Amino acid sequence: MNYPFWDIDIGYGIIMAVIAVIHVFVSHFAIGGGLYLVIAETFARKKNDRLKLQFLEKLSKFFVLVSVVFGALTGVGIWFIIGLLNPAATEVLIHNYVWAWAAEWTFFVIEICAALLYFYGWKKLSAKNHIIIGWIYFISAWMSLFIINGVITYMLSPGDWITTGYFWDGFFNPTFWSSLWLRTGICIMLGGVYALFVASQLKPDDFKKRIVRFNSFWVAGGLVIMMATLSWYIASIPKEIVDAALEAKLTPVEAMNASYINAFLLGIVIIVFGFIIPKRYNIVVGVIAMVLALAWFGEYEWMRESIRKPYVITNYMYGNGIDVANAEKYQEEGLLASMKFQTSDKSADLFRRACRSCHTIDGYKPLKPAFDGTDETFIAQIIMGAHVIRGNMPPFVGTEDEAQMVASHIYKQIDTRHISEIYNLEGIALGKKVYDIRCGKCHVFNGYNDKSESLLGISEEDLGDILDMAGDFADEMPDFRGDEKERKALIEYIMSLNKKESN
Amino acid sequence: MLPDSNFLSAPLWLIEFLHIVTLALHLIAMNFMFGGIIILLFGKFDDKWNNPIVQKFIKLFPNAMAATVTIGVAPLLFVQLVYPKQIYAASIISGWFWLMIFVIAMIGYYFLYALSFKQTTESRQKIYLSIVLACLLYVSYIYSSVFALGEKPDLYKLLYAEGQGGTIINPDIGSYIFRWLHMITGAVTVGGFFVALFGKDNDSAFKTGKNFYLWGMIAAIVTGLTYMIGLGELMKPFMKSPAIWLVTLSFVLSLGSLHFLFKKRFVFASAILSVSFVAMVVTRHIVRKLALVGYYDPSEMTVNSQWSPFLIFLIFFVLAIATVWYMLRLYFGKQE
Repeated sequence: MNYPFWDIDIGYGIIMAVIAVIHVFVSHFAIGGGLYLVIAETFARKKNDRLKLQFLEKLSKFFVLVSVVFGALTGVGIWFIIGLLNPAATEVLIHNYVWAWAAEWTFFVIEICAALLYFYGWKKLSAKNHIIIGWIYFISAWMSLFIINGVITYMLSPGDWITTGYFWDGFFNPTFWSSLWLRTGICIMLGGVYALFVASQLKPDDFKKRIVRFNSFWVAGGLVIMMATLSWYIASIPKEIVDAALEAKLTPVEAMNASYINAFLLGIVIIVFGFIIPKRYNIVVGVIAMVLALAWFGEYEWMRESIRKPYVITNYMYGNGIDVANAEKYQEEGLLASMKFQTSDKSADLFRRACRSCHTIDGYKPLKPAFDGTDETFIAQIIMGAHVIRGNMPPFVGTEDEAQMVASHIYKQIDTRHISEIYNLEGIALGKKVYDIRCGKCHVFNGYNDKSESLLGISEEDLGDILDMAGDFADEMPDFRGDEKERKALIEYIMSLNKKESN
Repeated sequence: MLPDSNFLSAPLWLIEFLHIVTLALHLIAMNFMFGGIIILLFGKFDDKWNNPIVQKFIKLFPNAMAATVTIGVAPLLFVQLVYPKQIYAASIISGWFWLMIFVIAMIGYYFLYALSFKQTTESRQKIYLSIVLACLLYVSYIYSSVFALGEKPDLYKLLYAEGQGGTIINPDIGSYIFRWLHMITGAVTVGGFFVALFGKDNDSAFKTGKNFYLWGMIAAIVTGLTYMIGLGELMKPFMKSPAIWLVTLSFVLSLGSLHFLFKKRFVFASAILSVSFVAMVVTRHIVRKLALVGYYDPSEMTVNSQWSPFLIFLIFFVLAIATVWYMLRLYFGKQE
């Protein structure tokens, strides 16, 4: 409430995901790649394998350019973007975990210095000293992960911190260890995938066969650790968080399933091109493996973020930056009373604060199709009941008048014709659309907040009565405010489901 | 009852101390690179693009960029800890420009590597360095404009009411243009120092470094004084604060460092320049505090010290210095 709102057309989720996923894809490689380099070098030195050492030198150049430059600056980019998108949450993190960030920074300094010396030291340093610097690099990079992992996992599962406010309670939270080993597995997998990418550019000879197989062992090992610790990680997320997430939406499950498919596909690519026909591990295969690994990471992060909804810090701060502790106060006094940055359009200010972090009117997660054909009162009622809507939304913590103001802001930008006119529908098709818009936000047949039992198998007359009394069933339930045509079509649609059930 | 996060996790003086030390280190690395690039582009050297000092700088620039970025993380962290509301508000007003900083810096960084990895033609070296310079000018300008805006709460509230899309650059240019120019001329001064130091046995390089040090310092004094005069209402409290003594000290020390540099007594020159540099950073810090009087006083923040995490940070900090030192010894020492 202390901050202005960055009102951009691109969805917050998109811009954050792009910067964050690209960064973690590189930063985890920066750790796994470090381990890969130093272990591969140790083996190569022992066997005096000149070809492999040449390959590793080439890889370390790629490594420096990707991790030291791209990784470091996208890391700074994350700092910038979280401060722009959710300054309130960033402030909470900095106030509580500044010494964690600062400690992580000390390892970042060692890491960058070691990476550069390792790269420049191929010809200058003795084998022993070069390997020592390699190990210093990896240990410092992994320590960075250790520390950042504490802060990231705190956001999902703050553990006892939520009652004590004690630094270590939040840092060593319920998902700390599982996440640490999961991410370590990811690092190893990525170290191998990147090394394969560099190896894919080699000419197809015996050395390529050897190095591709060696790198494929890394990917396979990383994948095994990853998939094993992923189950541990999911099991370590407090049950109430998982239950709440899964009850409201299937996104975490969908993300997980997509990640399993990706991991499987990556495994196939590695088995076929890495182990069976390694000489054919060409640049196209290298890119495909990179894309699959990136997609896997994106899906994992998507799952993690979607489980955390509606919070940015579980039970402490909502995704829209509104603090749980003051929610009651805002409900009594109104959001506007606490908003320090306002424009001449108060309705738009309220919309930005309450909704705009996740929704746009007609772009990312659009509200227009959700409300086209409805009216201000309906929109206001939905806003007041936002916390029960499918999708794990934060509650609207303003007053009823403020909900009305937000509704009026949305209403001005939607299509106000009747649903039948907008979509040019009639009969059952219209009924389904009406159901989706007026009922489906909270009730899904055989899904979220299912009302099959009370709606299916009853007469048209009874359905009509239920629609007439809709607003009386619960505080969050809006009245049915569609016209007669919509009402009739809705009943027809539900009756058609009735027939399907009985068949 | 949920924990209150509105606190400082160490006494203010300690956070300010860490901020000033790390900011000074960041600025030295940045000045080496920024000033060095300007001098390489506009300075006179014998057989310029084949001059060993010029080539040495070109090889060192990527490392200087790495140091600038790496060290720069810490002061950004500490300043956000003490002034989050001001900095986030100002950066949101200029959101797109602010966000582009890391993209533009990355572009500059890659051009530095491209230059350092491959021997290339003179014209290409000039083009690459010019691109990097343009990137650094952008980054520094946006930093100056955003941080200056952060000191004007009434202005950023007004600007927010006018536009929420993050496409506004601080329109009060007068309040920071000389501050920005002072930073650039200061970078040229420090760059001149390093060129003279590295070129102490190379006549043209030493002469160029010395000249840039002299004229950069004169320009820095002029722009600094202009910025100071332009402080307006802040001038009175500024004159009553320790900042005026620090500016005076910095001025005298800078002249002293000039004398020692001309005599090639680099240890004295660098020691004096460093003290002068830190004095300027502290001055900058005091000016921010004065600008925010009546709006925000960080000393009124609740202090809820987290000593055990702090101690761990301190141990890691010492460990980092020792490890970097150890690695440098390995690198530059005799190899087995």
